Amino acid sequence: MTEIDPHHRPSLAPRVRLQIDTVRQEPVLLYPEGLLVLSPTAHEIVRRCDGHTSIESIVRSLGDEFDATEEILRQDVLETLADLQQRNLIVLDP
Amino acid sequence: MTPRPYALLAELTYRCPLHCPYCSNPATHTGGEELSLDEWTRVFAEAAALGVLHLGLSGGEPLARRDLPKLVTAARQVGLYTNLITSGVGLDANRARELQAAGLDSVQISFQSDDPAQGNTIAGSKAHDAKLKAVRLVHDHGLALSLNVVIHRLNIDRLPQIIAFAESLRPERLELANVQYHGWALRNRNQLLPTREQAQTALLVAQKAQARLKGKMDVVYVLPDYLQDRPKPCMQGWGRHYLTVNPAGDVLPCPNAGSIPDLVFENIRQGSLASIWNESANFNRFRGTEWMPVPCRDCPQREIDFGGCRCQAALLTGQAAATDPVCALSPDREIVDRILDHAWRTEPDDGLVFRQNPQAVLS
Ligand SMILES: C[S@@+](CC[C@H](N)C(=O)[O-])C[C@H]1O[C@@H](n2cnc3c(N)ncnc32)[C@H](O)[C@@H]1O
Ligand code: SF4
Ligand code: SF4
Repeated sequence: MTEIDPHHRPSLAPRVRLQIDTVRQEPVLLYPEGLLVLSPTAHEIVRRCDGHTSIESIVRSLGDEFDATEEILRQDVLETLADLQQRNLIVLDP
Repeated sequence: MTPRPYALLAELTYRCPLHCPYCSNPATHTGGEELSLDEWTRVFAEAAALGVLHLGLSGGEPLARRDLPKLVTAARQVGLYTNLITSGVGLDANRARELQAAGLDSVQISFQSDDPAQGNTIAGSKAHDAKLKAVRLVHDHGLALSLNVVIHRLNIDRLPQIIAFAESLRPERLELANVQYHGWALRNRNQLLPTREQAQTALLVAQKAQARLKGKMDVVYVLPDYLQDRPKPCMQGWGRHYLTVNPAGDVLPCPNAGSIPDLVFENIRQGSLASIWNESANFNRFRGTEWMPVPCRDCPQREIDFGGCRCQAALLTGQAAATDPVCALSPDREIVDRILDHAWRTEPDDGLVFRQNPQAVLS
């Protein structure tokens, strides 16, 4: 499995759709075999995975919006994306 | 409180051009008068309002419905994630384009084998090449692809080849599903049940592939049911996350629940999906743990496997409320052991029955 590094430009795997569940008002990832409810942080990260934005830029853009050090944000982003990669829900380089 | 359903399986028709002897479709149900586009549109809207996020369009062969693209449009209009579950037979460039334009999210195509001759034999039809063409069309139209192969005694020894073949077709996901013994598969159980040695080897092959393909392709391996000593967490619990609407509009907790003799299910033509989900005596009958007999009642596994499959309990013990007899703790486990013994003494091609089209039953 490819190691994630900050230059990757992740995107959702083609079969995955990000949606707001209107019944619970929660962000969810939908894919053929199930769904994953996203935490607010994970949602902010996944929203930015468009295949053009690098992980480094995602961290910076989160830094502009949220009150946390880039170091902590970088760790959050890398952990979240590694988890999604394990589940085959994102691709690192489209 | 009634749980909320997450996924709806819409069985659009029981018609199918293939004849798989492992088919889980009911062997006696004709499909009745199929729900119309308008009726399905209503079902999809009511499902979404109930909280359903996920829709599987299946059958029979869903491509046998001429109005399939319109059904996909209706599903997408209410926000459902829509997965087409198909043999691939009947897909051409025109329909692939229509389905893509309608907003289909993903396509799952089933194969019978990696080997064309064996695939055609099991399908009872020259289907293998049509499936390969369907895979190409799915890729060409940028649709997400999953593959499914049903595993049984006739093809389980080819698992390494089947996995290599699947990889060459570049799906995002591969589901290797050992047969569940319902419908036509039940009739062919003696021929389809793998031996213990076959199952052990296959499990190792599947686990190796899962490790090797991690992060690249999702490989799901559904264990052979009767050979385990704990049951499957069937549907993640009766009436908990899933519901099925069959071609005639019956609303069921699972696609096979119609096989339980003393249950009569409500029909979408007579009531709303919400009232059936929330109030139907049948949906409520096996919800939670209250209904459970000993040994499930006191078992630490009861919220994990929910006592197994109600249809299987009914089929094998005559009691829908019995512990799934696959469980080694069930007082009826010997029924399963006797079935296994008998099956292992049957030759695989001795008396195999191929699935028939319900139209043939009707006429
Ligand atoms: C009943 S089929 C209908 C869709 C389509 N005709 C097809 O076969 O792909 C739905 C899915 O269940 C799988 N399937 C059929 N019979 C099965 C059985 N007895 N146990 C497990 N899976 C089964 C099929 O391979 C397919 O992926
Ligand atoms: S016969 Fe085969 S292709 Fe047709 S519905 Fe059954 S499993 Fe699907
Ligand atoms: S006794 Fe019932 S709950 Fe316990 S493992 Fe067996 S089937 Fe599951």
